[in-house]
Amino acid sequence: MNKKTNTMIILLFTLVSFLAGRWAGNDYLLSVLILIAINVLMACSLRTIFILEQISLGHVGFALIGAYSSALMVMKLNISFWLALPLSGSICALTALLLGYPFLRLKGIYFAILTFMLAESLRLIAYNWRSLTGGQFGLTDIPGPGTIGLPFLGTIDFDTMENYYYLTLMVVILSILVLFFIEKSHLNVKWRAIKDAESLAQSVGMNAILHRIMNFVIASFFAGIGGALFAHYQKGLSVEVTSRFGIMASIYLLVYVVIGGKEKFSGPIVGTIVLMMISEFARSFEEYRPIIIGFIAIIVVLFLPEGVTGIPERLTRLKQQLKKG
Amino acid sequence: MLKIKNLSKRFGGIQAVTELDIDIKERQIFGLIGPNGAGKSTTLNMIDGSLFPTTGTIIFKEENITHQRPCSRAGKGIARVFQKDVLFSSFSARENIKLGLHLHSNLGLKEIFFPWSAISKKKDRILDEKAMEILKFVRLGEKADEMAINLPHGNQRALGLGIAMATGCDMLLLDEPLTGMNAQETDQMMEMITTLRDEKNLTIVIVEHNIKAVLGLCDQVVVLDFGKKIAQGDPDMVVEMPNVIEAWLGAEQDAV
Repeated sequence: MNKKTNTMIILLFTLVSFLAGRWAGNDYLLSVLILIAINVLMACSLRTIFILEQISLGHVGFALIGAYSSALMVMKLNISFWLALPLSGSICALTALLLGYPFLRLKGIYFAILTFMLAESLRLIAYNWRSLTGGQFGLTDIPGPGTIGLPFLGTIDFDTMENYYYLTLMVVILSILVLFFIEKSHLNVKWRAIKDAESLAQSVGMNAILHRIMNFVIASFFAGIGGALFAHYQKGLSVEVTSRFGIMASIYLLVYVVIGGKEKFSGPIVGTIVLMMISEFARSFEEYRPIIIGFIAIIVVLFLPEGVTGIPERLTRLKQQLKKG
Repeated sequence: MLKIKNLSKRFGGIQAVTELDIDIKERQIFGLIGPNGAGKSTTLNMIDGSLFPTTGTIIFKEENITHQRPCSRAGKGIARVFQKDVLFSSFSARENIKLGLHLHSNLGLKEIFFPWSAISKKKDRILDEKAMEILKFVRLGEKADEMAINLPHGNQRALGLGIAMATGCDMLLLDEPLTGMNAQETDQMMEMITTLRDEKNLTIVIVEHNIKAVLGLCDQVVVLDFGKKIAQGDPDMVVEMPNVIEAWLGAEQDAV
């Protein structure tokens, strides 16, 4: 059952999210759905870093690079959205490649602090570089993908909320599939080995630092894609501390992964959806939201350390114990 | 086979190893002994590449490997059994050996990304067979599918030896391979180490505290104290030397 759970959840996510778009009807619900989809991608890519037992607090930093690079490419260089999207991911990947070697020599809390500093520095650079990023006023009027003619489907205007939702969903699902594919590949076997015993892995000939960098680059690429999708959805970007590029956003992502369960690929998908729904329902008491999320996080960590996706296994174990008497 | 010339390592103000010269011949079982903090592990770390020396050179099979990293040294034929990171704990015994075999698995991009394709499965079966052979050698044939972390201590150590063997190394570095073992496990391990040399023609470097094992196994030992070589030679002869007794066995002699 364990092996199939991930596939099942990905399929279910695909199906439900497609139906949800049809059912939502109004722009408000669609915008919530878009944010959920983007956060699912962000959380899944963050979990990729977790495989090597690193905790990144700077994932939103890469989303910021992705968002701004995509927005600026479209606005200032007149590059089409369709090209800017993969390019912005690639810019993030390149940044991760350059930062990978100095960053990934650090482990655990040191890596977490460093990535946090990176995200904050990037945010402050964006905040103060007025000529490029608009400074505290941010960027406004970021164009959407526009209208495009597709075979079999005719012309589609991706600037409407519903169509943009489906576009986001397609990109997110495609990205998730790529990440899932990597999870199933031999690459992940090596990553797990490096996580278990790095010095031993090196002494059997695995280039640990190269694998760590590769892992970081892949995760950052998808964080950048997530950021770019966000930029063209929001049509405006700002880098206030409370924005999606502030520290709280990083912590929320971390919480999504942990609550969903970091051991399983489907963990962050479930975690993001559950928590974002809860936080959406709690919208009327805005200021208490961090408390609610924090409370749930504490409960889960204390009583269900393997996360929500660990529940089925827990039940099976319980059943076996009951059978034994 | 391995020549260490003028090797020194400094950690800040501490001189861990000072001007060490060692020459290890092919098919030797070579012991590095000395009291705690003598620089044995530091030396081993420099041989396998986890640490780079401050000065000096390390030459393996006529090639200067002083500044190569552990993963490249693994390719040249140096493998190590660690004291702590003995095995990959979230894998089964068989998978552990297969990870050790990974240098020889010849996986192309296709096999890395499509582990379910026919060619990958075929290669996997070959690896499985090789892994079983090694598991039988380290006497874990029946425990192939048990999780490595659940194996008893002695078996874990044996599995560690298996992983190192799987890399197809010519030189094996053993960091206190007998620590925490009971008498029977110790005998088995010592037998295995001797067989590795006799049948697989490996050169073996051992860091060990168990003096009986050192006497029983090694052809040649170097005694380190405060990072300096204080004696070298036949183990039976070395342990009789007064300066060795003073540095290492001193406490024991006093007790008697």
